[in-house]
Amino acid sequence: MEIISLGTLISALTWSSILSLMAIGITLLYRTTKVPNFAHASFVTTGVYSATIVSLMGFHPYLGMFLGFILGGLEGLVLFYAILEPLRRRRSSIFILMIATLSYDILLYGLLNVLADDLQTTYKILARMIYYSRLDFSIGGVPGVAVISLLALITTVILLYILLNRTTLGVALRACMENTALAQTLGINVSLMLLFSWFIAGGIAGVAGALLPFYTMCGPYIGMLYIAEMFCASILGGLDQIYGAPLGGFLIGFAKVALISVLASFVGPWITEYAPIIPLAAMAVALVLVPKGLVAIKIRRG
Amino acid sequence: MQLPLNEIALFMTDFLALFGVYLIVTISLNIQRGLAGIPQFGLMFAIAGGAYITGNMATRIAVWILGIKTDLDPVIDCTAVLSMVNPMLNTQPMTSFILILIYLAIGATFGAVLGLIQVAPAIRLREDYLAITLLAFAEIINVIATAYKPLLGGAFGVQVPSVYGWAGGYRYGVATLAILVIAAISYLYAEYLERTPLGRTLKAIRENEVAAASLGKSLVKYRAIAIVIGSALCGMAGTLWTLYGEYVTPTYTRFYWTFLPWLMVLLGGIGSNRGALLGTAIFVALDKLIIYYKHSFEAFLPFDVVWLDYILLGIITAIILIYRPQGLLPERPYIPKDIRKRIEEKIKQF
Repeated sequence: MEIISLGTLISALTWSSILSLMAIGITLLYRTTKVPNFAHASFVTTGVYSATIVSLMGFHPYLGMFLGFILGGLEGLVLFYAILEPLRRRRSSIFILMIATLSYDILLYGLLNVLADDLQTTYKILARMIYYSRLDFSIGGVPGVAVISLLALITTVILLYILLNRTTLGVALRACMENTALAQTLGINVSLMLLFSWFIAGGIAGVAGALLPFYTMCGPYIGMLYIAEMFCASILGGLDQIYGAPLGGFLIGFAKVALISVLASFVGPWITEYAPIIPLAAMAVALVLVPKGLVAIKIRRG
Repeated sequence: MQLPLNEIALFMTDFLALFGVYLIVTISLNIQRGLAGIPQFGLMFAIAGGAYITGNMATRIAVWILGIKTDLDPVIDCTAVLSMVNPMLNTQPMTSFILILIYLAIGATFGAVLGLIQVAPAIRLREDYLAITLLAFAEIINVIATAYKPLLGGAFGVQVPSVYGWAGGYRYGVATLAILVIAAISYLYAEYLERTPLGRTLKAIRENEVAAASLGKSLVKYRAIAIVIGSALCGMAGTLWTLYGEYVTPTYTRFYWTFLPWLMVLLGGIGSNRGALLGTAIFVALDKLIIYYKHSFEAFLPFDVVWLDYILLGIITAIILIYRPQGLLPERPYIPKDIRKRIEEKIKQF
């Protein structure tokens, strides 16, 4: 008997890619605005419903990635402009900003549920059980979502790298991350830069959300279900390192999907129900040993 | 118009019971966040823990104390076991009373242990890391409660003994009274705690961690104390709510048991117990009225009214945060009597 099947590895790869996409946004926002964004859950769920809307319009649900990017980005924009920016102007503490993102998450959760109810009555679809696996294509037995999500992750990382390192806009954004006050004296419009980062982060979360219904059954609760895992990935990679997020995402994704299936072959299938504990355990260990994240570990030489 | 008295009495008991449970939770939050400055975004963890452990242990303990001999599992076959337990409890108010105290002790202890587990990985870290860890750990409890069947019998939940059954038709009244007594004790305790050296130390750490540490106050130790006190209160709230409804399912959500208490404390004013009292009363009254008039709303809303709740509360929080972050009844500095007297004497001298 083989210890781990190819299918499990592909599933782990898919989940890791999607999780990394979710975590990148959280890390990016933490870098720019210094606030853990709890509303990321609803940004992701918005992506799921973008795929639904696109498929109701007669297109392939994969195209929901583009709608998801725009809608998620807009949600990020509204959160920053309508709630966080007024709070920032009043010099509110990080803790007040955290509650603000939490309350925006609750608001969006309500709206998404209204949308789901509406889709259910208007289009007679099961809007609380969205699953597009049967619409997926396959390349030599590999489900399309594995390829698409990995490609989406690679594209996102490359585009983000180009944006941050090769464009004036990106350099200005990085200046805001490093030292807000100094960036301001150099004439950079800090709030515009932060606004931009919220659009990008919300958009990436929307893309991840649009891929999610190909991997698992989704409903309005799906973002809340995975928010803990997103933060685990983000913390494991290091909240201060944008490129740490994919590292954390892959470690946690593979631990959750692949490691648990290895464990299941030894102790029995009941253990898979406890899979959500693995990311938390990983985060707890990381917080105790390397609170700054894996990327912060320096290899000692000589 | 004649007022339906029975209906009003029922509405009031229901309102007061929920109010009492939420008051315990908001007082707990006030101790954790208001006094010690811990961003407790995982209140649900200890509350659900208290509720679930009561669901798991209550029947077992009742069977043991009443001396019933049975081979049935008290969780999986709870209905069959309770058909033996409840008639006996209905005739023994004293035993029921002792059982309530035992359940409360178990709920509080388990809540406190969960609180320590929850905070352990991040207890030394900054408040943003702390908040993420507390929130993330709280999300896990329903996963375990649903997956581990012997705990609550899976997703369908479990029945608990009817410890107020001896009061007959007044059972909900008595249950509400029990909740209110514990809530009052918690309130008085929180007021007392503020005036003790421990309370002052917690406030000092909240205001300036570095300064407090330089005076030899250990951040880790005092954070742990605040979490233990707060989580024990939360655990008791979960136990009381389970005993009130005589039933528990693994469905404690972040919205009702973390977000709403936060909102109540924010509206009242963080750190002020009077504020917590006011905020809790306002929100529970709103919630009960919305449920009471739900059918009149449903006529002109094309979706479930519950979601309107979420949308409105989300907006209200943002408005409070932006326009009145200190709350309706902000925290007042407490100056002990002897110090106040000394200050007044100094003023007279000049």
